[in-house]
Amino acid sequence: MIEIKNISKSFKLSKEAKKQKKLEKSDVRQQGTHFQALSDVTFSCGKGEVLGLLGPNGAGKTTTLRILASALKPDSGAILINDENIIENPQIAKKKIGFLSTKTGLYNRLTSLENIQYFARMHGMSKSEIAEYGEGLYQQLGIEPYLHRRVDTLSSGMLQKVSIARAVIHQPDVIIFDEPTTGLDIMATEAILEFIQSQRDLGRPVIFSTHHLDEVSLLADRLAIINDGRTCFTGSVDALKLKTQEEDLRKAFMQSLSFSEEA
Amino acid sequence: MFHVFIKELVELLRDKKTLFFIIALPLIIFPVLFGLMGAVVANVAIDEKKKVLNYAIVNGNEAPKFAEDLLYHRDFKKHDIELSGEAEIKAAIKNGEVDVVIEVSKEHLSVVNNNEQDQWKVYFNNSSQINSVRQKVNAVFDKYLASIRADKLANYGLDEQSYKVLKSPVKLKTVDTADERENFGEQVGGLLPYLLIVLCLTGAMYPAIDIGAGEKERGTLETLLLTPVSRLSIVLGKYLTIMTTGIVTALITVLSLVFWSFIIGEIAGIEVVKKVMSTVSGLDLALILLMLIPVSSIFAALLLAISIYARSFKEAQNYMGPVSMLGFFPVIVAMLPGVQLNWTWSLVPISNVALAIKEILKGTIDYVMLVSILGSTTVFAVISIVFCVHWFNKETVLFR
Repeated sequence: MIEIKNISKSFKLSKEAKKQKKLEKSDVRQQGTHFQALSDVTFSCGKGEVLGLLGPNGAGKTTTLRILASALKPDSGAILINDENIIENPQIAKKKIGFLSTKTGLYNRLTSLENIQYFARMHGMSKSEIAEYGEGLYQQLGIEPYLHRRVDTLSSGMLQKVSIARAVIHQPDVIIFDEPTTGLDIMATEAILEFIQSQRDLGRPVIFSTHHLDEVSLLADRLAIINDGRTCFTGSVDALKLKTQEEDLRKAFMQSLSFSEEA
Repeated sequence: MFHVFIKELVELLRDKKTLFFIIALPLIIFPVLFGLMGAVVANVAIDEKKKVLNYAIVNGNEAPKFAEDLLYHRDFKKHDIELSGEAEIKAAIKNGEVDVVIEVSKEHLSVVNNNEQDQWKVYFNNSSQINSVRQKVNAVFDKYLASIRADKLANYGLDEQSYKVLKSPVKLKTVDTADERENFGEQVGGLLPYLLIVLCLTGAMYPAIDIGAGEKERGTLETLLLTPVSRLSIVLGKYLTIMTTGIVTALITVLSLVFWSFIIGEIAGIEVVKKVMSTVSGLDLALILLMLIPVSSIFAALLLAISIYARSFKEAQNYMGPVSMLGFFPVIVAMLPGVQLNWTWSLVPISNVALAIKEILKGTIDYVMLVSILGSTTVFAVISIVFCVHWFNKETVLFR
């Protein structure tokens, strides 16, 4: 189980960013020389649960996920994985979390297999461990035919599948995917959604951010909606519909953005 | 660290641009370019030597013997043109009517007969780097002077030998205590470190941009930073890769130079090249290579730090110009006349290595000073690496 409690994060604005933000006068999160990306984000994801992280562009989804993956350090708050605060020990987070960013994060001049093996070794896995766990993983994702092809020759769907294999090769306790299906065709999207379901079946908490509400309806056991750096809703899809009195998830989502506090 | 180093090397070796800069450029393209340049210069020099100069002589009747020598000389062709005054002469040369004009003084014969010193003028365009006009005119002029001198000496009852004694009763002969190697080291020793150190820098530049800013731009750096490997290990792995490529570039260039010099020396039978080759021993090359390690180490850390700071590949490329100056300046300082390796200079990074390579080539290196050079350079490299690790830990740098 992973619990995120009252996370906040601000960034010092660069000169260019300050100019840009001056133009966007409506952004209330700019505080002097700093930009308050997150001010109060709280949600949790239990074992065998899929949590859909929703929010408009610039809401703070990627910052939240980067903090969960320990790429960024929050200004305040706590992140607990099985009751262990990973902010105090980011190395634990790196071992326990499998993170897929919006970019595939693969090395173009290496083959798919070399990419996966490289990251597995960086996680301290031995050759035999990589071979043992990798076999099933490659089969499940259907990437076996192009394991020995250079990454720069792969299609975007193939790249994303290899990237997922790279992110979970070390068998993490928690899986975090940032917009995993963006820009993919139906076949590739289907394969990735199936993979997320399989991880849920294995009892792993899966957090994924997306703009596709149909994916949320299909997969997510619960939702966390972020707007302007704050959690404005956490709960199931049904709970959101009930609270907003909207049957249409799109309309319910739009309405939830006006919630000032988590329900 | 080892995994990062191996991965970076594999990736770089699969990159055509890197292979071009590290292998093709020094092994084939540089020698071909230098060879072509040499051939062009040699051809120009040969053409210039063969060239027949169109000349005009003013007041030639005052020096008939000289005028006759010019007329029958194979390097000169007389151009009959009436010229009076400097402006006309200059215009004739500028228009290409003639290559050279010799203006004999109006009263040359009487001046010579009165035992006074005379003055002539030679007009030609001296702006060309390869110019044999002066040399060719001097050859004829010296012969004419010798004939006048012989007549004058005869009048005084003297011969050429007596004239030499009169002119300089005591000759001062210089005995150079520097051996051939030392002279060679002094002449070439300034240039070789410049070439090697610059190659260490330029060879490391592209890989540094690629595995720093390039990785940041492609999004692989973020993924890498999410692995449980320490930032120090990642920095060291990348740093070692950049350092290796810098040294390998310099090494391949040196080997290429040695190989081509050997081939040219053997085929063309050029004694100078053969001599040069025989003065540099294997130990010298090993010592020079040892000196390149700390230099490459400083460059690698510096380039990596800048590359990581940059937002993109392009931005990193923009920063590399000023950094190059940082690398070139100490080498240029070391090439200045009078700058010699001493304890103070041995502490100045990069300059100390340039001076040490010069001393190694001359065979006059003080080996104790090598310790000081390696020590000071290592301190500088460690500071650069610490700085690099510091930046690798800064969110504002990694996620600019």
